[in-house]
Amino acid sequence: MKPGSSNRPSGRTVVLAFAGAAAAAVALIVVALLFRSGSDAPAPSPTSGVELAGIPQDDRVLGDPAATVTMIEYSDPQCPACRSYTEDMFPTVVDEYVRPGKIKTEFRGFPFIGPDSVKALRFIYAAGLQDKLWQLQEALYRNQGGENAGWVTDELLRQVAGEIPGLDVDKLFVDAESDEIVQETESAGAAAQAAGITGTPTFLIKIGDAEPYAIQVAGVEQMAAALDDALKG
Amino acid sequence: MSDRSLRFAVAIVALAGIAVAGYLSWAHYADSTVVCVAGGGCETVQKSKYSEMAGVPVAALGLVAYVVVLALTAWDSWIARLSAAAIALTGLLFGAYLLALQFFVIDAICVWCLANDVLIAPALAVLTALRLRQDWGQTEGSDAV
Repeated sequence: MKPGSSNRPSGRTVVLAFAGAAAAAVALIVVALLFRSGSDAPAPSPTSGVELAGIPQDDRVLGDPAATVTMIEYSDPQCPACRSYTEDMFPTVVDEYVRPGKIKTEFRGFPFIGPDSVKALRFIYAAGLQDKLWQLQEALYRNQGGENAGWVTDELLRQVAGEIPGLDVDKLFVDAESDEIVQETESAGAAAQAAGITGTPTFLIKIGDAEPYAIQVAGVEQMAAALDDALKG
Repeated sequence: MSDRSLRFAVAIVALAGIAVAGYLSWAHYADSTVVCVAGGGCETVQKSKYSEMAGVPVAALGLVAYVVVLALTAWDSWIARLSAAAIALTGLLFGAYLLALQFFVIDAICVWCLANDVLIAPALAVLTALRLRQDWGQTEGSDAV
């Protein structure tokens, strides 16, 4: 093809097009910066998606103590994928497996994302001392903020803890500072790594006293299949 | 390089862009498969508040841009060549911004994002610019700017 003068842009057009492209890029960046706040902290979901009242809870374990199958969840309170699990799959797990007494589920912290993870985990573990761990972790996921944005404030903790029936908020704050909880939170990361955990959420299934095995969960169907499988075996 | 081979190269690079941006768009929406990994990675970047603008994932913007550039290579006219180069330039600049975000703000690097921002977007910008330049090379000096 041989472009003639009618088959090519004038220099002015090219300059204008490139200037327009640069302006479009700047506009995109400005829009991106302005509108990121829309998803800065994922909007808090105001109401709990799952009812836990009436389900036995003992420290970090939710469900019938007699259930043979235990699903262990390694979790970081700041991890968005853990929030997704808690909001999208956990209600089904509770309603179809935990409440009917088929399985019990155990919470284990793996606070690797940052200081907010560690602080949140201290309060989550402290809530376990009042057998309200699962309510608090669920409420914190619903109110999750941007990673290491300092969102785990005393105000937020007081507010979400205050909404959990039967949770003594003052005791929670005292327990969260106790040596036992602080130490346990600090060693949680090392313990998870020693168990071969590399990310969150990680799910393990333990049948009776057998060695726990990891399951890959990409959706609620896969989760249900893995649990059904464990119940059969 | 002939325009024919340049055109072919643009199409290949645009296809690579479609593959990468397509994967990243898919991964962005496939929420439940995403895991937070110690040390960070695509998941951190993809889950970052910067991964969307006004609810649209930046990966989807890239996908649209690559599809348009690919479509433009099928239409042989100076308008198409100029539009492709302009889009590629916008992509290059926006990619540089995303790259800076990964290094300095989010503090996590996503390999596929890097492949796009460092390899594919610059390659497309260079190739589309070269195609545009050919319009000029062949009738050099005959036309006042």
